[in-house]
Order: sequence, then C-alpha cells, then structure tokens
Amino acid sequence: MELVMSLSIEILTAILATGLLIIGLVTPKDQRRGIGYLTTAGLLGILGATLFMNNVDKTLLDGMYIIDPYSTFFKQLFLLAAILVSVGSYDYIRRLGYNQGEYFSLLVYATLGMMILASAGDLITLYLGLELMTITFFILTAYRKKDAKSSEAGIKYVILGAMSSAVLLYGLSLIYGATGTTVIKDIAAALQQDIQPIMLLGTIFVLVGFGFKISAVPFHMWSPDIYEGAPTPVTGFLAVASKAAGFAAMIRLFIIALPALQSYWVVIVMVLAAFTVLFGNFVAIPQTNIKRLLAYSSIAQAGYLLFGLVAYSALGVAAILFHSILYVFANLGAFIVVIAFGNHTGSDEIKDYSGLARRSPLMAAVMLLSLLSLAGIPPLAGFVSKFYLFTSIIDKGYFWLAFVGIGMSMVSVYYYLVVVKVMYMGEPPEDSEPIKLPVSIQAALYVTMFITVFFGIYPSPLTNVALSVAKAFFPF
Amino acid sequence: MLQNYAGVGVFFLIAAIFPLILLATAWLVRPKRPSPEKLSTYECGLETQGPTWVQFKISYFLYALIFVIFDVETVFLYPWAVKFQALTLFAFVEMIIFIGILVIGLWYAWKEGALEWL
Amino acid sequence: MITLNHYLILGAVLFCIGLYGALAKRSAVAVLMGIELMLNAVNINLLAFNRFLTPDKMVGHVFAIFVIVVAAAEVAVGLALVINIYRDRSTTMVDDFDWLKW
Repeated sequence: MELVMSLSIEILTAILATGLLIIGLVTPKDQRRGIGYLTTAGLLGILGATLFMNNVDKTLLDGMYIIDPYSTFFKQLFLLAAILVSVGSYDYIRRLGYNQGEYFSLLVYATLGMMILASAGDLITLYLGLELMTITFFILTAYRKKDAKSSEAGIKYVILGAMSSAVLLYGLSLIYGATGTTVIKDIAAALQQDIQPIMLLGTIFVLVGFGFKISAVPFHMWSPDIYEGAPTPVTGFLAVASKAAGFAAMIRLFIIALPALQSYWVVIVMVLAAFTVLFGNFVAIPQTNIKRLLAYSSIAQAGYLLFGLVAYSALGVAAILFHSILYVFANLGAFIVVIAFGNHTGSDEIKDYSGLARRSPLMAAVMLLSLLSLAGIPPLAGFVSKFYLFTSIIDKGYFWLAFVGIGMSMVSVYYYLVVVKVMYMGEPPEDSEPIKLPVSIQAALYVTMFITVFFGIYPSPLTNVALSVAKAFFPF
Repeated sequence: MLQNYAGVGVFFLIAAIFPLILLATAWLVRPKRPSPEKLSTYECGLETQGPTWVQFKISYFLYALIFVIFDVETVFLYPWAVKFQALTLFAFVEMIIFIGILVIGLWYAWKEGALEWL
Repeated sequence: MITLNHYLILGAVLFCIGLYGALAKRSAVAVLMGIELMLNAVNINLLAFNRFLTPDKMVGHVFAIFVIVVAAAEVAVGLALVINIYRDRSTTMVDDFDWLKW
C-alpha cells in the first residue's frame, strides 16, 4: 500500500490516460468536445497532487524507481507543459474532426513516459519510460493521417527514433555487461575499480542515443523535418517536454552512474554542445517557415542546456533546471501563437505574420516576449537562465565555450528580430481582419507571458528551488 | 550427463525414420500410371487462374499487427505463470490490471473497426 | 569451448548488419527489419552477460523480455504508419519520402 501511495502521481496519470481513451470510446462522436477540457482539469488535479510530493525522497522497488525532489521538479515541468499543450490543442484537434479521445489520451501517456524517465533509477525503467514517450510521439506526429506531410514526418521519426533507441540500448547492454547491474546507483559503485574499454564504448553509444533524443548536432537531422510535419501542438510538446525529459534522464545517468568516466564524457559533451549551438543558430537564420525556425532554435537551446552538463557542478545542474522551466514557457508561448495563427489563416510562413501586431496585439506581444526570452535579453527570464549557464562553465574554466555561447546568442537575436520586425513593421494583408482568440488560448498566452516576465524580474524563488534540488547530485 | 538424454535421442531417431519408412513403402507398392491430368497442380479440382503474387487486403495487415502485439504481450504471462505459486496476491492483482489494460486495447481495436473483414 | 567473447562478437556483428540494413535499404519495411536485427543483437548481449557474469540474478533476462515487447510495439506502430503512407502514395521506398526536405 505504501508503494501505491508513493507512486500515486504515476498511477493517477495512467488512470487519466486510460480513462480518456475509454470515455472517447463510449461517448458519441459529436459529444467529444468535453474530452479536451477533462484532460486539462485532470492534469491540473495531478499537478496539485505533486505539490504534496515536494519533499518526498524515496527509492522504491530495490532502486528501480526514485522519487526525489529532482524527479518531482521535472514531473511538475512536464505537467505544466502538458496542460499548456492540451489548452492549445482544443481548436486544432476539433478542426481535424476525428478521434479526439485518442489524441488527449496519447498526450497524457507521453507525459507518463516522461515522468517515468525522470524517476528512473534503473536502466530497464529508463528504457521503458523512454520508449513509452517515444512511441507515443510517433503516433502523435502522424496524427493528421490524411495529411501527407504529417504521415511522412511520422515514418521518418519512427525509423530514426527506433534506430537511436537501438543504439542507446546497445550502450546500456554494454554498461550492464561491464558492471553486472542495471541499477544506476550500483553502477557507480561497481566502477570504483579500473575502467574497462567496454565501459567507454557503452558510454559513447549511450551518448549517441541521448544525442538523438535531445537532437544535439550531429544527431539533429530528424528534428526540423519532424517539427515541420507534425501537428503544431505536438511539435510544441516534442520540442519542449520530450527534450527536457531526455535531459532529466541524461543528467541522472551521467552524473550518478558514470562519474568515474567523467573526464571522457565531458569532453564529448563539450564538443557536442559547441557544435549544437553553432549549427542551430546559423541554420535558423535563412528559415522562412516559423515551425522550422523554432525547430532550429530549439536545437540551439539544447546546446545551451548541454553547457550545464559540461560544467558538472551543482550550479550547472541548477542552471539546466532553471533554463528548462523558462524554455518550456517561452517556447510554448511561441508555439501557442503559431497554433492560433495556423487555425486562423492555415499558414506557418513567416511572411504571413506581416502586421500581426495590428491584427492581434496579444499574440504579437507574446511572440515578442517569448522570442526575446529565448534570445536571452534582460529583463526576461531567458537572460537569467543563460547567465547561470554561462557562469557555471566559466567557473570551470571553459572560457572559449562561454564565448561561443554568448556570441551565438547575439546571432540568435538577429533571426528572432526578423520575425518581430515582420510582425510589428509589416503591413497586414488588405483583406485581413483582427484575429479573435478563444478564451482558453488567451488564458494560456497570458500565463506564459506572465511567467516569462515574472521570473526575469524576480528569479530568486525558482533559483533557490533549482539549487536545492541540484545539490542532491553533488553532496560533497 | 548426456546419457540421461539417450531416451529423447532414440525418440528423435524414430520420429525421423518412421515417416521415411512409410513414404518408401507407399512408393514401392503403389501403381504408377501418370497422366497430364494427374500431374497438374491440385487446386480443389479446378484449373488455376491468374498469378499467385497478388496484393493482400489491407485488413490482413491490420489483423497481423494486432495479433503480433497481443502475441508478444503474452511473454509476460509465462514467467508469471511459472512462478505463480511463489508470488503473492499482489502479483496476481498486478497481472489482472495488465490484462485489463490489454482488454481495453482490444475493445478499442474492435470499436474502431480494425477487426471487421469487409 | 564457447566463451562470452564469442557471444559478444556475434552480437556486435549482428548489430552492424542491422545498422547497415537500416541505413542502406530503400524499403521502409526492410529498414524496420534492420532495426529489429539491432535489437536482437542487444538481446544476445544481455543474455550472454547474464549467463556468464551474474548467472544467479535474472536481470538480463528481464531486460531482454522488455526489449522484445517494446520492440514489437515499436514495429507495430512503424508498420501501421507504412500502411498509412502506402495508401496515400503507393510506395514504401524511403527515398520517395521527400516532401519534407531532409
């Protein structure tokens, strides 16, 4: 019974997901509008339940499952992202006209996979969580099954996602072979003696696998295509939450299980981070499709997040936690604008955003703030988190990497401002009318805007939480 | 060690030889009067028509997909059934939940028409 | 005498064949088969490690069972998407999936 209580968040999420599927089955086709609202309400309830878990620090099932402040932090992040995405999906999914129950059910299942990933204390649990998330995203990506782009994106994602899972799994099997255990804590203990080459090989394979999942260069080639082809709410969820989940598992695995190989993997991660930041920002410049632009910018953001892992310190991990929260709100703010705009005009091209400020001041303002926050302009939240990330690596003496990061942030300001310029300086099309937003979308936009500004001006509460959570990784 | 398996080996040997003997006797004693009619491909007594490399119906693949998933899920039932005596009530309830989820999946496939052969 | 190394080499060779198939084949179905080979290589590794290093614990076996099940789910989704795209374009060749630029 105690076990069930400790796992209550995951169990509730599973019940919600399965329940939504059943409700979708038993209600007639024309009465399924309520399922979206039910999803949001259910997720809000679960988010409320996680608040009681903030101080729980337990290891369950012989170390296979860990519930600690770190995993709870990430669970809250995933739930927030899922809530915003579900709010953004109401209209979008209604327009498709079919299968509302499945969509929201899959959304919740993906959230469940991420939660398991963040709590995994064992390689098997880690793999299961990762696959639950990835397989659900395969289906969500191809959700517009009548649309050729969506199904093509789905099949590309299946092929590359399954391949990267296989590579990751091969690495995990080698780590299991080198240490004789799959429990993350025991792996570190088994590595106290000498390091075998097989262990190094396993680490590299695992890094490649995770590189795919968080779309670090040179394993990024799937993401722009899939981001463009997938339904826009799914793209937002994929870019934000699945990346954060990948980082959640990666940090735990590399810092807890593989500190003995730290001198090796830090070098590789450093090179990956530098390439990712350089490539993501430079290729974003010529993009004309807003979804592709955000895809490349999210590749660049993954590079910034990797900085925190390179730092290998409590400050670095805290900076990753802080940045992922802001990244969720800034990116989802931008994506919800893209969803609402797409619902209204059916276009994702940047040139069609011309004069958006006059057609809908709220949408333009949220887009502006989100993009500036992603670029790291003070006083927005993105500035604070980038400041922490760069401080953490400068503390360790990687000045050149910080230099690359700061330089590329300047570049990113350029392409973000191109969008802003189109929205504010451009003339709206002749026959355009003001865009009316549903109340739900408006509420979501106000929330993202408020949080982006609030944590930029007053970051200390979130900083303190992030630091106290991150300290658990570096008790010494 | 290996001797313990001698009985199994003898059975294998007999199982391999027995059908050969049957076929050989049949071949020896049967009358041999072939005709073109007898040598043609047997298909319910009718002439074969058209190429055999035809496309399967798409519902066939759907069936196969659903079958594969349910087939593979049973892999969890084997270790559970083997160790059933040693496991507690907790494991029993867990397996009921697992099967319940599978049943929901089957219900979904049914309701969505994946099991209809049109 | 067959040692752990033999199994590991078999696993590595199988993994490489699978990776080659997944990267070089043009048909989406063949690519999925290549991925299955890679996962089976992982299973060989897991079982061999379990047998030779920790024969009294069943961790490797349990891991392999989960890999089998998840691989089946993955391939089922993959094949369903292949069927879906085939209905649309009458092709399953990966090269023809070029409506989105790579």
